[in-house]
Formats: sequence, structure tokens, C-alpha cells
Amino acid sequence: MMRNEIFEVVQQSLVDAIGVELEEVVAESTLLGDLGAESLDLLDVLFRIERKLGFKVTMNDITLMITGGIPDEQFGTDEGYISDLGLEKLKENLPQIDVESLRGKFEAERVLTLFTVDNLVSLVEMRQAELPTVSS
Amino acid sequence: MNFNEKVVLVTGGSRGIGRSICFEAAKLGATVVINYNSKQEQAEEVCTYIQAQGGTASIYQADVSDQEQVQKMMAFIIERYGKIDVLINNAGISNDRLIFQMEPEDWQKVMNVNFGGVFNCSKAAIESMMLERSGVIVNVSSAMSVGGWVGQSNYACSKAAINAFTRTAAVELARFNIRVCAVLPGFSETEMVEGLLKEEKRYLSQIPQKRFGKPEEIAKTVLFLASDDASHITGATLKVDGGASCTLGIGRPL
Repeated sequence: MMRNEIFEVVQQSLVDAIGVELEEVVAESTLLGDLGAESLDLLDVLFRIERKLGFKVTMNDITLMITGGIPDEQFGTDEGYISDLGLEKLKENLPQIDVESLRGKFEAERVLTLFTVDNLVSLVEMRQAELPTVSS
Repeated sequence: MNFNEKVVLVTGGSRGIGRSICFEAAKLGATVVINYNSKQEQAEEVCTYIQAQGGTASIYQADVSDQEQVQKMMAFIIERYGKIDVLINNAGISNDRLIFQMEPEDWQKVMNVNFGGVFNCSKAAIESMMLERSGVIVNVSSAMSVGGWVGQSNYACSKAAINAFTRTAAVELARFNIRVCAVLPGFSETEMVEGLLKEEKRYLSQIPQKRFGKPEEIAKTVLFLASDDASHITGATLKVDGGASCTLGIGRPL
């Protein structure tokens, strides 16, 4: 499935789960901020995507994508802000982020609020690429 | 009301109220999975009876307080039947003690089976239900969850926890088109309360209907809540107790 088709699936899932208008769901919208999604909405979105595409995308996948798989204590500083290593991982996986604007002042626990529709599309695309290919 | 094409898991289905739920569900067309922990022979009897009537049923041994065993049971159901439509959390035990004589393990065991079983089985079932955006969970609680009875602090707490879980799960799962309800039986004619049945005179005067409930009366209520006829009911905790919990004291005299 092509990226634009995945976008449409993600977009419709967000519309159905959160009740936002289709036009509001653009690539750069943040899920928790712009679209006002709550944790239960996010879970709902993921189940809708799974039902439509036939493979799982989990909350754990989102967390792994954001943190790049490094443990919480390395992702955040003792003061609770995103660490330099954390910012490095963030830059790799959520390329829209201006990490300098976050350095030393953005709380690690708020990191999920940076996650956008585009990021979710990328995650679904990655999960799709990992599926075993069926040989004919 | 029918359960044709529906897969129904009844925990603690080998005897008592659970057994009646299995029979009633099968009568209404359900494919019934009879969970049991130790009473294999009785579970087989229930299964054989349903099959002899032309129904579809299978048995599965699992201790509902053990999450791993519950997950394996759910995997078995999904593999064999492809889905689970209705979960009836019925398995329960009692271990009556005065608080003065009760040890921590006396309440922990009851809590682990009664509430832990509801938690484990619900958690294991909802993934499939959330994906299908369809499902019903009915928990067999107890009238004891809303009153006090000497010796039942552990049992009453475990059942009150089930009521609270029922309400919370109903709220969380409504958007996935999953309903969660509870039935609160009063005194029902089962092995669990056989000691009490022997002294029925002391109890019957406290029940407005002057009789104990029959397991099938509880079962019919459970299946109504599990059916599509109850499509707008979720989070309900419904008493089926002949009015026992309505009275203050014994409700008389005038």
C-alpha cells in the first residue's frame, strides 16, 4: 500500500475515532494537541487501523519510534527534560521537530504531544514494510 | 433473543449458576465454551448434555486467577472458533471467616479468584472484541457486594470490586461497542450455599419473595444482558435476589 493510501486510512481512522472533521486531519497536525486526542482515542485509532490494514500498530510501537528504543532514564534528564541523546533519537524519527527549541526545557513525559499524523503514517508504513512478504 | 453464531465463554461453567448459564446459552443457539478449574467430570457432563441436545460446546481447564492459563484458554477459543462474542465471568469461590480470625491469605485467595478472574478473563478477551468492535462481558457478582453479612468481608469486597470494575470497563469499552454488565444474585440454590439451604427457615424470612433463587433464574438474566435485546444497557449492576437487598433490617413489622 502506497503512502498516500496509508494516509487516507489513518486520516479516516482519526475522523471516526475522535470525531474531528476530515479537513482538520493534515500531515502536520499533532494527535494530542491539534486534534485533541486522549489516550483512549489513540487506542481506538490503532484498533481501527489494524482492522482496516490487517496488521498491528501498538502504543508500544509509537513509544519505540519516539524514543528510538532507549530506556526512559536515558531519554530524560534527572530534571525531567528530554536529554541530548533523547533529542538525537527524536530528530531521527520525528524529523519535523526543531530539537534546539526543545533542548533543556521540554519535559520528557510530554513527548507524545509532538507526535503528528505524518509520524503515524510513517510508523504504519514501517510496520507494513516489516511484514513477511508472501511469495507467489 | 438468540445467540446463533455467537461464541460464549462461561467461566466456572461446570456447576451451580455457571452450569445453568451454559445450558441456557446453548438452548439459545450459542457455541459454549465451558471453563472449569478442578471439576472435569462435571464439566464433561455439561458438555455432553449440550451436545446430546444438538448444541455445540467444548470444555477448557484453566484457573482464572492465573493470567497465563487464561491467555492460553483465550488463544484456544480464538483458534478453534475464530472469535469470542460473549464472556460470562462466573467463576467464584467463598471462604467465610470472621475478620477477627481471617488471615491475609483468606481474603487474597478469594480476591484473586473472584476479582482477579474477572480482570484476567476480561483483559484476555477484549483485544479480539476491540478489533471486531463487538462484544459483551457479563460478570456474576453478588447481592453481598451491596450489603454486609457476617463472615463475608472477603467475598463481599471481591464482589464489590467486580461492580466497580464493571462500571469502569463499561465506560472505557463503550466506544468499542463492547458492553459490560453485572448480575447480583441473592441466595441461589447452589452448592456454594448448601449449608445455608439446610437452615432455610432462618433465611427465607429475610427475603421478600420468601424463596431462594433458582440458578436458571440467574442464568436467564445473565443471558438477557448478554443478548442484543440489552443493546443500550452497559455498566448496569442488576440485582436478582427476590428483593432481599431492598429491605432495611427485615423490613417489618408495621
